[in-house]
Amino acid sequence: MKLTNKIKASHARDYRSVLFVLAAAALIVAPIIIDATVHKSSYVIDIMVRILFYVIFASSLNVINGYSGQFNIGHAGFMLIGSYTGALLSTKLGMGGVWYWVAIPISGIFTAIAGFLVSLPTLKLRGIYLAIVTLGFSEIIRLIAMNWTAVTNGPMGVKNIPKIWLFGLRKTSSPMVIYYIVLVFVVLCLYSTYKIINSRVGRAWMSIREDSTASQSLGINVNRYKAFNFMLGAFWAGVGGALMAIYYRFISADMFVLDEGFNVLAMVILGGQGTLVGPVLGAVIVNLITEFFRFADEYRLVLYGLLIILTMWLRPQGLAGATNTVLAGQAITQDSSKKTAVDDGADA
Amino acid sequence: MYVLQQLVNGICQGSIYALMAIGYALIFGVVGLVTFTYGEIIMLGAFSAFYYFIVFGDNLILSLLCGFVVAGLVGIVVHKVCYQRFLDAPRYISLIATIGMSMFIKNLAIIVFGSTMKGLPLFFEGQNLVIAERTIDGVRQQLSLTYLQVVVIVTVVVLSIALTLFLNKTRIGMRLRAVSQDRKAAALVGVNVKNTTLLGNCIGCGFGGIAGILLGLYYNSIIPTMGGVAGLKAFSAVVIGGLSNIAGAAIGGISIGIVENLGIAFIPNGSGYRDVYAFLFLIIALVIKPEGLFSRRTGTV
Repeated sequence: MKLTNKIKASHARDYRSVLFVLAAAALIVAPIIIDATVHKSSYVIDIMVRILFYVIFASSLNVINGYSGQFNIGHAGFMLIGSYTGALLSTKLGMGGVWYWVAIPISGIFTAIAGFLVSLPTLKLRGIYLAIVTLGFSEIIRLIAMNWTAVTNGPMGVKNIPKIWLFGLRKTSSPMVIYYIVLVFVVLCLYSTYKIINSRVGRAWMSIREDSTASQSLGINVNRYKAFNFMLGAFWAGVGGALMAIYYRFISADMFVLDEGFNVLAMVILGGQGTLVGPVLGAVIVNLITEFFRFADEYRLVLYGLLIILTMWLRPQGLAGATNTVLAGQAITQDSSKKTAVDDGADA
Repeated sequence: MYVLQQLVNGICQGSIYALMAIGYALIFGVVGLVTFTYGEIIMLGAFSAFYYFIVFGDNLILSLLCGFVVAGLVGIVVHKVCYQRFLDAPRYISLIATIGMSMFIKNLAIIVFGSTMKGLPLFFEGQNLVIAERTIDGVRQQLSLTYLQVVVIVTVVVLSIALTLFLNKTRIGMRLRAVSQDRKAAALVGVNVKNTTLLGNCIGCGFGGIAGILLGLYYNSIIPTMGGVAGLKAFSAVVIGGLSNIAGAAIGGISIGIVENLGIAFIPNGSGYRDVYAFLFLIIALVIKPEGLFSRRTGTV
């Protein structure tokens, strides 16, 4: 019995790794094929780059909301800090070009510090109190970026962000090259998340999500894990933001209104919180819908709203969500609680 | 004098926030769920008054009534879509549904009403009620209330008293309070919990609608996106007040108004940071007392 299970598991693993390699190959080859065949290739690649950005944002939000059950709805604030840090480092401190490779992790770390600061007051808070603090934080950050003209250039935003150089390769502003750069970071983000989720830390987060009091009594330092969780989520949001800054080469505070945070939240929820594939799926679907309904541009966000409501009605755990966690709207029963940790790792 | 004037403005603005917060606290009390659609309810109330003024002419009291009814009706829809199914589910599900609802209403409103700013008719234009006056170095300083501010404060006070009487003296009001305190126990003693919840939600939304009109009159501008920050402030006020505590919510609202206006008064070039003060105040308040400043029982969420 045990052996057959093991064989089954290894088969599943083989199957998965094959699928994984195929997907990776497709992602690498896709822009080249599109460039060669599709008429308006830069438009299509632009969409793909945008999807990749949102994969990073959604995954980073998922680290916070999905795995540790802290309810962050002000993710736009972290995205703003990351992209402003990147943009200001490159425009004001001359960290453009090759140096932008240093600026990206710095943006991430800076955002992680912000995440830590946000987590300080929120450690005591739960549920809705935490949500309102993250929301307030996001608004505060945006208003500061909007009004602190001396540093952030105020409502005009940061313009003329220098291009990034790739190993002395100077012509790297084309969407194609940025696509590969972002793809590398997406892979890094997902892989590191996967590793952490399937480690002691990830299991601690999930146990906090399912029952914080019980985890505390099992000797998990809830506060420390929660703070680290916030920092990791913020870090990747910051990296994503910094990447966005070099792609658009212009950022302003308007790009990070609360709705942008809700937008990312919608992706996480549609895809399925607390799974690795969920946010990826959500980012792809939502962005494709966005493009598909571009002809009805103004109805796009109306549709979003409907989609979110529908998801809550029909499948509250999201498309890829597991059914046996608190996120799925089910109380943990005796036998499902054993499986939770495994199922939630998505690829465990 | 300038600071005093800002304090007066703060109290006036705060009373609008207080009205919003009262409605929100009522909804939270009876439904037991947090909503993000409230900002949009406020916005719809304001727009209903805008169209009321166009169609029926400038009647302030009737327009307030109109806002109450429209917002209440929208409240029914919100209730059916976002709360009813999820009353026993984890709270976050209905919360996300209300975020979806909020996006839906807001963006539909942008399409229907247009994304530009609209003005409401001016009432009592330029008429002031001078409270105190003094002259320093030949500069005359005044502490004054505009008539509009007086109307706003009076409306809020009257509505609060009416709600208090309604909740404490009528049978329906008592049912509302019973449901707010304990749904199961209320059901056991024969209260129709389902209808009472719906009614409480409608009244709460109606208050939001009236607050929206007052807000529109106060700034003399309405825009479909006005709900976001307004709803957030109502929410903040309620959180500061300790969730579902109606008096606490009112105090929370007024204090947010005062903090905002004093922040503008004391910090130079600070008017762009108006909302920052409000949210900072919220965060500080939560750090000091995580379950709200005026909560009688510990938070249920």
